[in-house]
Amino acid sequence: MKILFVMDRRLNAGSIQAIASYVRAGDKLGHTIALYGTPEPTFSNVRFSTDLGTFDYVVFIIEFGLSWMSGLRMPRILTAVPREHRVVVDADGMYNQVICVDGYDRNHRNERERSRWVAHCDSLTDKILQPTLHPREPKVVGLPFYGYDPESQLGIVHRTRKRFDIVHLAHNWWRWRQVSECLLPAFERIRSQLDGICFVGSWWDTAPAGAQEQHLETAFGTDRERFRQLRIQVKPPVPYTEVIRAMSEGRVNIMTQRPLFRYLKLFTSKYFEIFSADTIPLVLLDPNHAELVYGPAGRELALHEEIGAKLLDVLEHPTIYHELVQEVRHHLAEHHSYQVRVHELVTALRQNGGLN
Amino acid sequence: MNLLLVAKLDRYARAINTITQYVRAGKDLGHNVSVFGEWRSEFSWLPHSLEIGAFDFAVFVIYETDDFPELPHLARLLDDIPRERRVIVDCCGRYNDTVQVEHDSNHFQKLDGHHGWEWIEGLRAVSDNILQPTLRPLRGDVRPFRFHGYDPTAVARSYSSAGEAASAWSGATNGVKPCGVAYLGSNWQRWTQMRRFLEAIEPIRDKLGTIRLAGWGWDQRPDWASELGVSGVDVDTTLLGRLRVETTPGVTFDNAISFMSQAHFSPIFHRPLFNYLCFVTNRTFETFCADTIPLLILPDQLIESIYGPEARLLAPHEDLAWKLDDIMRHPEMYWDVVLKTRRHLAQHHSYRKRFQELVTILES
Repeated sequence: MKILFVMDRRLNAGSIQAIASYVRAGDKLGHTIALYGTPEPTFSNVRFSTDLGTFDYVVFIIEFGLSWMSGLRMPRILTAVPREHRVVVDADGMYNQVICVDGYDRNHRNERERSRWVAHCDSLTDKILQPTLHPREPKVVGLPFYGYDPESQLGIVHRTRKRFDIVHLAHNWWRWRQVSECLLPAFERIRSQLDGICFVGSWWDTAPAGAQEQHLETAFGTDRERFRQLRIQVKPPVPYTEVIRAMSEGRVNIMTQRPLFRYLKLFTSKYFEIFSADTIPLVLLDPNHAELVYGPAGRELALHEEIGAKLLDVLEHPTIYHELVQEVRHHLAEHHSYQVRVHELVTALRQNGGLN
Repeated sequence: MNLLLVAKLDRYARAINTITQYVRAGKDLGHNVSVFGEWRSEFSWLPHSLEIGAFDFAVFVIYETDDFPELPHLARLLDDIPRERRVIVDCCGRYNDTVQVEHDSNHFQKLDGHHGWEWIEGLRAVSDNILQPTLRPLRGDVRPFRFHGYDPTAVARSYSSAGEAASAWSGATNGVKPCGVAYLGSNWQRWTQMRRFLEAIEPIRDKLGTIRLAGWGWDQRPDWASELGVSGVDVDTTLLGRLRVETTPGVTFDNAISFMSQAHFSPIFHRPLFNYLCFVTNRTFETFCADTIPLLILPDQLIESIYGPEARLLAPHEDLAWKLDDIMRHPEMYWDVVLKTRRHLAQHHSYRKRFQELVTILES
């Protein structure tokens, strides 16, 4: 099958890592997978194509924003690709009713915004996929979509010098409440026993311009003074090709997920990417969900309660946790590899009624 | 004919005046013209419609990517209006291979995120019928259609003779004009020409009175231009200060003629790309509606073909200061040219004529 992904390509955010992995896994399985556009050196491991007519399906990966689907870009796709051969992957759970989690994180500000977003997708296709096993809308098909690439794991020869005890690599986008209410208090309790802490990503020191105008200031909460007191180093985001290496600078990596995503149990690239890094991942997820995704060992890597104590335990007993990480990696390679994901996607597309 | 104009409306920019004129001229000629979209109070004089099926043709007026409507409206337009009944007016020469003229270009990937090929493929996906407001398109599959036009009824002040006009212009019968020079337009790709213009008039600066530039980007180089490394929106505040040039924000389209009428002179610049492509704009024609003497800082070929042979006298060419001085000494001679040019524009470039040309293109 030939699959063309269409998305807002960003070097340090979104689903670009997944696309690179789909391209590689597709090649192994005899499928041609590419991303819409012309080649760019910064996306060196991604196949690009603009030859719409040669692909069986076009898969739009849509996150929060819609502006990249410009009126100039879309006519070519809409006129060249039949509707039944177009699919949307709703990566951010936007194709749902208006959901607000704990009065904080939300998919849409109001019904009007939701209607606009849904109408946008409905004009593209009848088939909406979401990276979850628990879709809420009858029309939506759940599909993990993101996966694990064993080949991207940093092996012993690439062992990275540890510059930090703790690394947190993610943008500050709806994560502030979790970080400020769970992580920072835990850090405060054990800070004297920790070496360096580093947050890698955008907007940890200041909100982006325009956040207020877009009523998104709460998505970008910051407290520079608290970071300073906790001696948390903030580093700018890294391109997707450097994510695993950057994570590997930490003995421990913490994965947080915005509340909406936790609520919808949405998978992201980070779920799996963090297990490719040379580090001990700890995931701020419900232990049951962690076990469901990562296998039994995943429960032990869930940061749930007593976060500070857990962090110290991991740093004091790395061998035990490295063994757990290895168990998870085996589980991921078996159940969540991108080859599995390609199979699932191909199956989902075929059920779309286009090809048999 | 039922004509649906698909365009982003902006009271300060783009083709708002031209679109308004098409609605008016279309009605006068027995056609029904509407703008695609829901009715909005800020454009209350323009009929709007979302009833795509009620229209014979859709004319997409394209400057930027966001002139196309968003989904799902765009999908409906593409689904419900057959391709052969869609037309694009490519107002910025996007439907060309990438052209670079000085700092100017028809494709600015840094600004809109789209490569040149996307413009060509994207426009072609909407229609085979692509029109450009030029005398000579570069591509064989583009049809020339000047799109913008002249509205004789919008002339700020009519004169029965050049003598009367000159007298009023000189302040003898109509009070003194508050400005010597007024320019209306943004500083997008115009600084090189504006600098040349200002430096050229510096020797006679004291004779000119107030010099006023209205539009964005004249007071300082915008931050985004520096951040993105985009040239062509430069400004030299020292030069502006030395020449005591006043800068003000832009004015809405319905105040454009009165703004230009405040001045003895109003230069007409086209951005370098447009000069190269021989494009016309709304201001090409509208300036002649103002009670001012237009200075045609345009290619000769364009001047003759649009304004007629007499108008060459309004082109300063290399000796701008001499020209302005000469106009001030012989205003009647120049007003005679202005009045003849207005008649030429009314005869050859009225919106009624434009509309009929468009109908001919659509019906062909």
